[in-house]
Amino acid sequence: MSGRAELVRGAGVVKRFGGIVANDAVDLVVAEGDLIGLIGPNGSGKTTLINVLTGHLEPDGGEVVVRGARMGGRAAHVYAGLGVARTFQLTQLFGRMTVLENMLVPGLTRPRSAWDEVVRRAHRYLEFLSLAGVAQLPAKNLSGGQQKLLELGRCLMLEPAVLFLDEPFAGVHPRLRDELITRIRELHQGGRTFVVVDHDMESILRLSRRLVVMARGRKIADGAPDAVRADQAVLAAYAGL
Amino acid sequence: MRWLPSAILLVAAALALANAGRLSSYWMHVAIIAMYYAILAASWSLLAGYVGLFSLSHVAFASIGGYTSALLIQWRHLPIPVGMLAGVLVCGALGGAIGWVCLRMSGPYLAIFTLGFSEIVRITISTEDDVTAGMAGLHTDGLFTAATRLPYVYAAFALLAVSLLLMGALVRSRWGLFLRAIREDEQAAAASGVAVARCRILAFAIASGFAGLAGGFYAHYIGIMTPSVGDLDEMAKLVVMTVIGGMERLPTAVGGAFVVQVLLELLREYGQWRLPIFGVILLLTMRFARNGLITPFWLQFLRLGEARVSALPAAPTLPQKEPGT
Repeated sequence: MSGRAELVRGAGVVKRFGGIVANDAVDLVVAEGDLIGLIGPNGSGKTTLINVLTGHLEPDGGEVVVRGARMGGRAAHVYAGLGVARTFQLTQLFGRMTVLENMLVPGLTRPRSAWDEVVRRAHRYLEFLSLAGVAQLPAKNLSGGQQKLLELGRCLMLEPAVLFLDEPFAGVHPRLRDELITRIRELHQGGRTFVVVDHDMESILRLSRRLVVMARGRKIADGAPDAVRADQAVLAAYAGL
Repeated sequence: MRWLPSAILLVAAALALANAGRLSSYWMHVAIIAMYYAILAASWSLLAGYVGLFSLSHVAFASIGGYTSALLIQWRHLPIPVGMLAGVLVCGALGGAIGWVCLRMSGPYLAIFTLGFSEIVRITISTEDDVTAGMAGLHTDGLFTAATRLPYVYAAFALLAVSLLLMGALVRSRWGLFLRAIREDEQAAAASGVAVARCRILAFAIASGFAGLAGGFYAHYIGIMTPSVGDLDEMAKLVVMTVIGGMERLPTAVGGAFVVQVLLELLREYGQWRLPIFGVILLLTMRFARNGLITPFWLQFLRLGEARVSALPAAPTLPQKEPGT
């Protein structure tokens, strides 16, 4: 990451739920231009780490730094304002609002945003995501794959510096999964930074330029996909794969 | 032709006002009370329908607004509009405080909390009879000295119209979009950059302020404030009005207030049985028409003169990352 600006840093992140340590002193730096695949078995703490790094959970230890600002105690919307966008493991849309309104909400939270300009930008992104034809439908009426695309579109309306995508390929038809991968690649080439969590190893390996592996709340590997795949600790964590 | 529904409403309102003088004193009273409830129903729909905050303390704020205005006028001899404005401000501040305390509450927890607050207000007013005159009732000055109720009809209409214009402007603005997003999913709204806590507090403050305005007007129309203004029966009546009309739109909530208030009068011959009748209507509405009974008619009305949706531009282009983001 030499020469690239650091966007999000989790330093020694600890998060406990009762007696369970979901994140145990995890360090993760996301730098501009990264396309990180974050993988690990169920319960390894991936979603908890994303929740901490995007302000949806307050860490019990360690700290989160976004673009140089220490975020201790800040609300999730402040992270969004600083360009940290995210999707959710189980898609969370504004179900009874239209697809277009879903896109307008994040666009209009940006400072000095003008309504007409935000509407134009929303239509452009809906075209890009092949959702223009359903712009006036309630979001809850979309298929599972379209909902994932809309969640991605909603993130894009924040004009984010970094996008954390939590299981974007889960339950998505292979054709729509390929479309999602294509869109993520195009956006990455356009300058966006991504952290993608998923269990779909094939998709993650197709997509990511850097692989981070978690197991039992700890980060056990971080590097180029080929090197990480040969790592003994990773093979042990994924024994049986 | 998108102006057609607005034009029809304006003409209807002008005709109603022009002919208001022909109503009997009794029906003028019914209209005034219906407009009092209409302000309450619209502001409660702002809170419960738009933001999803099912507060049961709304009529308590009407009561606080009425007592604040009445007491300030009694103690400080303020002009009545100034007393009413003070009631609005006190209710707005208290509502904001309640909103802040309830930040992490929703659904049944929020309902129970606000129910508790409502009862505290009612019992305090009943008990502190040195200040509030308790159950005997606090006599208030009338807003007008005229022998007829007509000025009150116009005043109630003006207050309702201004309230609806202000609340309508809010729900059509980006803040209205944020409030609905919070109702749908608070976590996703926060992830989209919506300051959830600020919006919830603001919604509580604004809705409570309008409840205080309605209460202040009621106090200076009826001429006496009693603790029953803020009791649970009143809250139940407000819920029935708003839900039957349609709680997710201001006009349908207002329509519900008018329909229920007028029907309550027309069904008087059935005595207490009219209340279970409305209970049954409420149950049927919740089961078969959760958007309210007036909503389909309102949506049909809005479609009058509506232009067909224009085609969207073609040719997808990859949006580029904005510089500096």
